[in-house]
Amino acid sequence: MMASSYNAKEEDGHHSGASSGAGAAKNRKPDNTAFKQQRLPAWQPILTAGSVLPAFFVIGLIFIPIGIGLYVTSNNIREFEIDYTGESSNSPCYSCAKNVTWNSTEPCFCTVNFTLERPFESNVFMYYGLSNFYQNHRRYVKSRDDRQLNGDPSSLRNPSKECEPYRTSGDLPIAPCGAIANSLFNDSLVLYYIDSNNSQSEVPLVKKGIAWWTDKHVKFKNPGGNSNLTAAFQGTAKPVNWRKAVYELDPSDPENNGFINEDFIVWMRTAALPTFRKLYRIIQKKPGATPTLPSGNYVLHITYNYPVLSFDGRKRMILSTISWMGGKNPFLGIAYITVGSICFFLGVVLLIIHHKYDNRNTSADIPS
Amino acid sequence: MTWKSPVALVREALQGQRAREKDLRSLMSNLPYEGLEKGKQPNRYFPSNAIKTTKYSLLLFIPMNLYEQFHRLANIYFVGLAILNFIPVVNAFQPEVALIPICIILSLTALKDAWEDFRRYQSDKKLNNTPCFIYSRKEKQFVERRWKDVRVGDFVKVVCNETIPADLLLLYTSDPNGVCLIETANLDGETNLKQRTAVSGVCNSFEPESFNGIVVCEKPNNNLNHFKCYEKPDNQKVGAGIESLLLRGCTVRNTDHAVGFVVYAHETKSMLNNSGPRYKRSKLERRLNIDVFFCFILLFAMCLIGALHFIWLYALPGVPPYLVPPANGHLDSPNLSSFYMFFTMIILLQILIPISLYVSIELVKIGQIFLITNDIDLYDEETDSRIQCKALNITEDLGQIEYIFSDKTGTLTENKMVFRRCSIMGTEYPHKENIRLAVLNEPESEEEVIYNQDLQPLPTGWSLESEEANSEDTHRHGSRRKSKVLGTTQSDVAFSSPLETEVIPDRKLLQQISRTGSSSRCQKIDPYLEFFLALTICNTVVVSMATTQRRRPLTSDNLRYEAESPDEAALVYATKAYGFTLLARTPDSVTVRLPSGEVLVFEVLDTLTFDSNRKRMSVLVRHPITKEYVLYTKGADYAIMELLGTPYAQRHLDCYAKEGLRTLCIAKKVVSEAVYKHWLVERQRALTAIDNREVLIMDTAVQLETNLTLLATGIEDRLQENVPDTIMALRQAGIKVWVLTGDKPETAVNIGYACRLLEDEDLVLVIDGRTLTMALSPDLRGDFVDLAKHCRSVLCCRVTPLQKSRVVKVIREKLKVMTLAVDGANDVNMIQAADIGIGISGQEGMQAVMASDFAISRFKHLKKLLLVHGHWCYTRLANMIIYFFYKNVQAYVNLLFWYQFFCGFSGSTMIDYWLLIFFNLFFTSLPPIMFGIMDRDISAEMLLGVPELYKTGQGEGDYRFTTFWVSILDAFYQSLVCFFIPYFVYQDSDIDMFTFGTPLNTTALFTILLHLSIEIKSWTVVHWVVMLGSVLFYFIVTLAYSATCVTCNPPSNPYWVLQNQMADPMFYLICILSTVVALLPYTFHVLRNSIALSPLIEAKHLDRLDPSMREEWMKEWRSYRGGGQVQRSTLS
Repeated sequence: MMASSYNAKEEDGHHSGASSGAGAAKNRKPDNTAFKQQRLPAWQPILTAGSVLPAFFVIGLIFIPIGIGLYVTSNNIREFEIDYTGESSNSPCYSCAKNVTWNSTEPCFCTVNFTLERPFESNVFMYYGLSNFYQNHRRYVKSRDDRQLNGDPSSLRNPSKECEPYRTSGDLPIAPCGAIANSLFNDSLVLYYIDSNNSQSEVPLVKKGIAWWTDKHVKFKNPGGNSNLTAAFQGTAKPVNWRKAVYELDPSDPENNGFINEDFIVWMRTAALPTFRKLYRIIQKKPGATPTLPSGNYVLHITYNYPVLSFDGRKRMILSTISWMGGKNPFLGIAYITVGSICFFLGVVLLIIHHKYDNRNTSADIPS
Repeated sequence: MTWKSPVALVREALQGQRAREKDLRSLMSNLPYEGLEKGKQPNRYFPSNAIKTTKYSLLLFIPMNLYEQFHRLANIYFVGLAILNFIPVVNAFQPEVALIPICIILSLTALKDAWEDFRRYQSDKKLNNTPCFIYSRKEKQFVERRWKDVRVGDFVKVVCNETIPADLLLLYTSDPNGVCLIETANLDGETNLKQRTAVSGVCNSFEPESFNGIVVCEKPNNNLNHFKCYEKPDNQKVGAGIESLLLRGCTVRNTDHAVGFVVYAHETKSMLNNSGPRYKRSKLERRLNIDVFFCFILLFAMCLIGALHFIWLYALPGVPPYLVPPANGHLDSPNLSSFYMFFTMIILLQILIPISLYVSIELVKIGQIFLITNDIDLYDEETDSRIQCKALNITEDLGQIEYIFSDKTGTLTENKMVFRRCSIMGTEYPHKENIRLAVLNEPESEEEVIYNQDLQPLPTGWSLESEEANSEDTHRHGSRRKSKVLGTTQSDVAFSSPLETEVIPDRKLLQQISRTGSSSRCQKIDPYLEFFLALTICNTVVVSMATTQRRRPLTSDNLRYEAESPDEAALVYATKAYGFTLLARTPDSVTVRLPSGEVLVFEVLDTLTFDSNRKRMSVLVRHPITKEYVLYTKGADYAIMELLGTPYAQRHLDCYAKEGLRTLCIAKKVVSEAVYKHWLVERQRALTAIDNREVLIMDTAVQLETNLTLLATGIEDRLQENVPDTIMALRQAGIKVWVLTGDKPETAVNIGYACRLLEDEDLVLVIDGRTLTMALSPDLRGDFVDLAKHCRSVLCCRVTPLQKSRVVKVIREKLKVMTLAVDGANDVNMIQAADIGIGISGQEGMQAVMASDFAISRFKHLKKLLLVHGHWCYTRLANMIIYFFYKNVQAYVNLLFWYQFFCGFSGSTMIDYWLLIFFNLFFTSLPPIMFGIMDRDISAEMLLGVPELYKTGQGEGDYRFTTFWVSILDAFYQSLVCFFIPYFVYQDSDIDMFTFGTPLNTTALFTILLHLSIEIKSWTVVHWVVMLGSVLFYFIVTLAYSATCVTCNPPSNPYWVLQNQMADPMFYLICILSTVVALLPYTFHVLRNSIALSPLIEAKHLDRLDPSMREEWMKEWRSYRGGGQVQRSTLS
């Protein structure tokens, strides 16, 4: 189809060039260059058993140790996960789960007890996990205004069309606008350690440092600086599902309030897959040899605000230590070991084949 | 300008239309009307001479170009999708962004069109402003004007070596005989001079102002060899034909000046002949379109799966917070949203129909053609011509040819004639000395030709007249002798080699002549004298004097013969050797010097020019001494035989034919004055007729050509160099070679042996024209094809051009094979009937070249063109197309598709859309194009040395049904790997969309490029640069983009994503693992290369050996393979 569009010079068809008399005939001999004569020096590999089998062995020999390393690292990661959705009647959050809707004004509280069999060393990351929540849904992903979140005053007053139908509330523009912000995860989780004499002590949770540095410092900015957010957000409405305005997200810390609230930033980074976790808090490593989270009984106090049963969703709280490879995931280690072994095996097969067949291609047995 | 009513304008326009459409045009001189307004000009309806070959105008370029581009289905499809994107409910991307790819494609094409048009504009301008002389009544002389000022009805003066600005009816020349010589090289590449005569009746003392006649001519047409008109000076008709027409674009030679009346301006014959390049659709492209159709089905199925997501929506107990209602606040019903979803998915997965494929194919073919035309092996020193690729999109068909249909004359043979033997009055004169000379000459031919080495190389060509002559009517032979190798000698002039000009007379014949010559010329009916006179007179050879402009080898008498066909030149030179010298030829007379030194001037009463129906020509002269009216006729043997009054022994003719000589018969007849007078009246009537003129003229010629007396001669046409070798190679390559010739069976068989088409053990079918007609009848056609299929070679003799094209068509349609037709002369029908038409720009007739898809200068070039370039072009393009399907399915479409299962079939992308566009447009587009242009699976030496390798491309070749599906399956597998390895790694983690998409995209890039790396058979510097450059470019662009784009592309936000990923070792681990797993199936490829060697792989192994070893292996290998039993194999 497209090929028909190329017009050659012949089409111009001026046979009658006044100057192109016989005397003006030029030497049209093509240049004898390697490129034009297609004789550029070339490396011409032939993929035969003999030529590729070293690659298989090398891959095998490299992959298997990497896989073992990954597997061991993953196994050393402590991870604890507890589902607090409360979809079954015997779970502690059952009544909350049943009653909480987006319109509820009263918070619902529930507590979940759990036991850590083994202590968690080093920093522990506390996640909340959601399942069956398609944060990657096309319209949902688009439903935000990055300029507004970047502190642009005009976008604050006049949010992007993409935010519809969460763009305005009444006559006032919504800040932050859009469906993502509107559906902000608003359960709060507090962790208590129950020590041997049954007294609860609150585990200190750090709420800063959970978002990307670039998000916190470049992408997200409060309009007009971080001081006096109430004034800055004057004339805007809170998202319809929110209980409080954006400048009340963390009134205690002006560096973590408004658009630069880290819980908010984390939520705004939409998850890739429908089952995801998001970093909620960090439990700092204690000085000395004491484990960050010693083994024993814990109780999780939940302010249950976020309804998930309407879409068959689940909520979880996850505690995890972390390594250079992130959270616990044995898959990559196993995959590396498997692939490495397959390559090694194929290498052996190729070696046999090479000995059986490839000889006839070498110049050794040229008939003389 | 006076005001005219619209009605008048319309009437004017209608009149103009009618005047242009009329079959006959009456033209008047403009001079009496000079200075009057346009409305009063008699010839105002005819266009002026200004040419405009541009397609577009400045103002309308954009709409017109877009209109042109939207003729392509693919463009409409992609624009439709882009528009679909503007509908909010279905859009997948931001509407403006979605327009980018199609805009880039459209604007690139537009840019290219604009540039080409600008070039046309420039050359138009240059041409239109070329100066010329037009007669002005005011100034009473010819004044200098520009070409564009020339109008129909003007008088134009052209001087020597000037190009003719419009089609002129020649009225006056400076030559006393009213002759003007022109060179038509610009028109058809023929360099011999052609003679034009002024219209009789006005030629002497011509004054433009006194011209008061009306010229009635036919409607403009593109036939270069036909023109009919008559002139009515004073109620008396004077007919004129092509012999009085100076064609635009030709150059005046050897004539000081000439004046002509403009009959056609703008609608000149040369302009009407510019039909532009032809577009054929290659077999590969036809296959490709089927696969594109499969892609549509695949796309439809995938979109349907996407649309069915409403089942999932129904399963939910309530409305989840992530379902965003449209602006009105109400969610669409699941049915409606799934309907929308279907279109969203089409937009998302549109690349499954590869937009870039068509553009890439086009670019690749341009590149391939560039390399083909630049091949130094396909360059001919002698004519200074490269191969010309006229059809631009069938390069890959060259690699799939199964049948070659070849003409003989000018194709297999040189079409350079040598006078070899003659038979007079039943006595044979073998001219043995000539044969010896030819043999002796071979080694030293270089020195022999050196004397014209200082000349500018000129393309040689043949006459206008012979163009319409069909080649089957001229019987030419090649001998079995080894053909003379001209090699690098610069024999730039037709029939200039010593072999042709220097004939050593046969001693016996010379004695015979001298005997008759001395015994006085009262012995007027001496057959020997008559024979040579006939040869000298009965031709259209023009004798010209040397001028500095055009130098040709001069005979000792300072004479130059400009012949229209090589055999005429050969004969004239031969008679000259016997002392009969043609001194001059004017339309009215022929001057001949006899051996005795006596000069005779024959009055030429008429010349019955050659035509393909009669297959002979005659000249009617009046003998200066006997005052007899003598008709000399020369023609193909059977064309003369049927006219002979007395039977003649066929013995010598058969003997000549067996020796491979082309025989011409010369005959004469004495016409009585009464008969002549009677005939003349008829002739005059025929000449002035407009309707049926050709028929009438022919009839009159036939009337006269009866009851002839025979004389005979034989001429040799040598085989071109390397013809047997080329034919051998082509046959080894599994190509069946058919020779279709107008020759007699004996000659054809002879030439068949000479060029190794026939060998003793072969099953060969030799069939003549009459039998062929029966064989091609509908009920026998099938049997004929079946029979022919089993023959190694087929020779068709005595076939007409129409039969040739029918043979080609029948084979092509019945056997469904790729056919190629080669012709060196005029067999336009045959060339156009075949899948590929190849013209050999040789000695005679350029019509085949004009109609061909590729024009080469020697038959031997066919070997490299097919075996090397054909093979390369085909494998390159086939592999590139397969790769393209794979690439689009794998990288773009499937990754997005798998993601839909995890984003609720909402049409989300996990990669920023800009990067997606860039991915296809920049990061992965150049490597396959380079692959398509430059890959070299096997070296040229190997392909030429083992022609059997060509068989891999024949039939289905590399690109077959299974190959497409295997590559699609491969793409599915690879996309599954590329998607699900990162998926399992990042499952239930805090990964965000673009961070998840980055390793996917990177792995896809690596897999795609490594996949190509495995496909690339030879890595040159260019390959390395392009491949590494693509990877680098990907990282640089993506890094730069994600470092700078904070809020630049809302709502998509790739800020710092790749940077974050590149700081994470997991990213690299995922990329490495996915790439390795994705490419693991190539092990099968490796195994096959080791266990079941395909001929191509074996050839590649041989390629690596050093040349001497390779030689030995090639021999060994070919005997081992049984010389023709190479199986077809595929490269996947």
